[in-house]
Formats: sequence, C-alpha cells, structure tokens
Amino acid sequence: MNPSQPDVAAEAPFPYTGPAELRQPIERALRAVADPELAMSIVDVGLVYGVTLRDGKAKVTVTMTSVACPVTEVILQDIEAELDRVIPPEMMIDVELVWEPGWNAERMSASARAFMGW
Amino acid sequence: MGARAAWMVAVALLLIGGVVGGLLRAGVAVPVPDARAWPGHAVLSHAFLMVCGFLGTVIGIERAVAAKARLAFAAPIASASAGVAALNGAPTLAAWLVVLAALSFVMVNASMLLRQKVAHIGVLLVGAAAWFVGALLHAWGGSAHGTGAVPWWFSFLILTIAGERLEMTRLMRRRAGAAASLYVVLGGLLLGSAAFSISATAGAIVFGGSLVALAAWLMCFDIARRTVASHGVSRYMAVCLLAGYAWLGIAGVAWMAAAVGHPLRDLALHALGMGFVFSMMLAHAPVVLPALTRVKVQFGRHFYVPLALLHASLAVRALASLSPEFLRAGALGNAVAMAAFLLTLLASSLAWRSKHRSGGHAVRAHD
Repeated sequence: MNPSQPDVAAEAPFPYTGPAELRQPIERALRAVADPELAMSIVDVGLVYGVTLRDGKAKVTVTMTSVACPVTEVILQDIEAELDRVIPPEMMIDVELVWEPGWNAERMSASARAFMGW
Repeated sequence: MGARAAWMVAVALLLIGGVVGGLLRAGVAVPVPDARAWPGHAVLSHAFLMVCGFLGTVIGIERAVAAKARLAFAAPIASASAGVAALNGAPTLAAWLVVLAALSFVMVNASMLLRQKVAHIGVLLVGAAAWFVGALLHAWGGSAHGTGAVPWWFSFLILTIAGERLEMTRLMRRRAGAAASLYVVLGGLLLGSAAFSISATAGAIVFGGSLVALAAWLMCFDIARRTVASHGVSRYMAVCLLAGYAWLGIAGVAWMAAAVGHPLRDLALHALGMGFVFSMMLAHAPVVLPALTRVKVQFGRHFYVPLALLHASLAVRALASLSPEFLRAGALGNAVAMAAFLLTLLASSLAWRSKHRSGGHAVRAHD
C-alpha cells in the first residue's frame, strides 16, 4: 500500500485515520497502556474512541469509566509517553479526554469480556 | 516546599497523630515527649483524626485531582486544618472546619454528578452527604452526644468505597437486581446511622446487619473475584479487596454483638476501619499515589508484607476481649503494618527511580 495513502481501518479496535504503516505501531503503543486494576490495556477496556493523524498532528480521543477517577491524568500521560515512541517526531501529539458518548461494557474487546465473565 | 510535598507532610502528620492516639488508647507505651500536649489531644480525637483528618483529607485530595479544579482543594485544606486544630487542642474549631470540609466535598461531588450522570457518582455524593451529617452531629453534639457521628463518618467511607466498586462492576456481567440490592443495603446503612442517635442498640444492629449484607454483595459482585486470577498489581489489589470484604463481614457481626452487650466494640470499629477501609487504601495506593504525588512506584511482591502484617495483627486484636495484652499487641502490630507500608512505598518509589533513571525522551511540540 502507498504509505502516503490515508488508511481508514474498519477492522481496527478503534477508528483510525492516518498512514497505514503507523496503524499497527500506534495500536501496539496504546495496548501498552494498562488499566492497573484490571491488568487490561485501555484498548481492550474500550477507552480509545479514535486516532486521527492529519496536518502534522496525531489526535487520540479517549474516555474513562468515571469522572471521579484520580488516575485519569496518569493514564493520559502514559498514552502520550507510549505514542511518543512511535509517532514521527515532527508531529504534535494531542490526547483528548471526552465524556460523550459515555463508556459502556459493549465497548470491551471479546477477550476482555470473556475474562470478565460475559 | 512545593504543594505536593506540603500535602504529603500534612497527611503523614495527621496519620502519625491518629496512630499515636490509637496506640495510647490501647495502652501501648509510646515514647512521646512529656512536655507536649498533642499526644493527649490525639488520644481524645483518635477517631476524628483517622476518619475526618487523615482519610477525609486523602479522599478529598483524590477527588480534587479527579475534578481538576483548584476550588475542589478547599475540602482537603479544611479537613487537614481540622486535624491540625484537633492535635493542638482546639476541638470546636476542628469540628466546624470538618463541617466546612464536608460541605465543600458535597459540592465537588455534586458538580461531578452534573458532568457524568451515572449511579456510582450518585453513591459517592450520598457518601459525601453522610460525612456532612456526621460532621454537623459532631460539631453540634459536643463530646457527650457526638458519638452519634461515628456511624455517619463510617458511612462516608463505606459509601465512597461502595461507589468506586459499583463503578468497576460495570465491567462484569451483572445479575438482574444487583444494583438495586446494593441501594437497599446502603439505605440500611444510612438508616442504621440515623437510628443510632435515637437508640444506639437498634442503630448498631441495623448498621451491623447492613455491613454483613454489603460484604456479601461485594463478595458476589465485585470484579476482585475475577482479577484475583490475574497477575502483578491487579492480583495484589484483588487480594487486598477480598481480605477487606471478609473483615467487613466480621465488623458487621461485631457491631451487632456489641450492641447486645458483648465486649466487641474495639473489634467492631477496627475490623471496619482497619480491616476494610485500610485494606482498600493498601489496595489502591500503588496506583493512586503516583496520581496524587507524581511519585511512581515499582510494584513487587514485597507489597504483600504490610498487607499480611495488617491482617495478622488485626486477627490478634480481634481477641482483645479475652485479654488487654491482645489489644496492645494487635494495636502495635497495626501501627507496625502501617509503618511497613510507608517504607514499602518509599522503597518502591526509589526502585522505580533507579530503574528509569536512564529513561527520557526528546521534547516535542504539544497543543
């Protein structure tokens, strides 16, 4: 595939728009960020709403399961640190925390759901 | 001194004050300077220092960090000041500072409920309101009638934990009626707290029965049953949680037994305060501490040492009605467990630093 061609991957665990060659490294980077209580990655929990690489900016939209969670900032910093390893240095990284739409258990991956007894 | 360092010193002083007060109450000969008045004040204010001073401040900081609003720090500032006032022999000022802290905390939680209208935030808000009711009873009631505040203070801690656990149960397939049954149990807890001021016996029985029911609910529905099969810090947290739920059940039985005349008051208070609440704190500290202080910790099996010490010393303390020696040994063991936990955190943060010393990335542009 032509590297400059944007890849809108439907089969990815979250919507991704950007160069095809960066899709897997970014997914791996996000899978390295874990929810510590669950021993599960934020991707498996379904906290990643989407990744868009455009105009020199890598924008990642995520949510959390609770507004009362004090660990949110640490998770956001971990996301940024992991992306920092794979995103080209000239690109800005923007991790946005959103509350709409709200998280629900439907967003969990099949393996996460199996672990949690669904 | 930075704000984070100042908070750490304040929280540590409140904990030390509360623990010294508890040890002296239990009859442990703590070497405290004779010329100082604070150990005497710590004895009188032990429960106040532990619940409103130490735990109220830690929970207040946790919520303020999550709220990302400077104004939200008014609650922990007021509760920490209350603890300092209590240690300096100003109980009236301390009591009203906690009223202020609890009121601020109610507003922080109400603003969170507006942001995310979900059940578990509602439970956290009710927990904050329970603290406010307990604080008012304590401030108005004085030392003669202020004991009616204690079940409300505990309700604040229990609802805070229950709200956080309810949030996590969303990850599991829940049986029909699970959430509704939790609300009934928590309603019983509040009813017991309210009844305590009218009839201490009836209140304690309803309160204790609700604790037993809550322990059963958490054992059935909490994710710890699943995550105990995982590894590392997740498994450690699950072990802390499940051990805490066992003590919660024991505490409930002890509350009911103490209400009908059995000499189990110490067990009722400490199975709940130490066995349940402190177990939750031990569970979450490796994860929450970096969020509050930006000090990261390297998790390892050594975290199980203070946990084992806590539960073993509580088991000794549970025999306090047989001999004061068990009370003294158990209370001392509880304090040693807490000291061991603080040392574990310190050693783990140093281990993390040495492991990541060579790390670091080039700085890139940010929005």
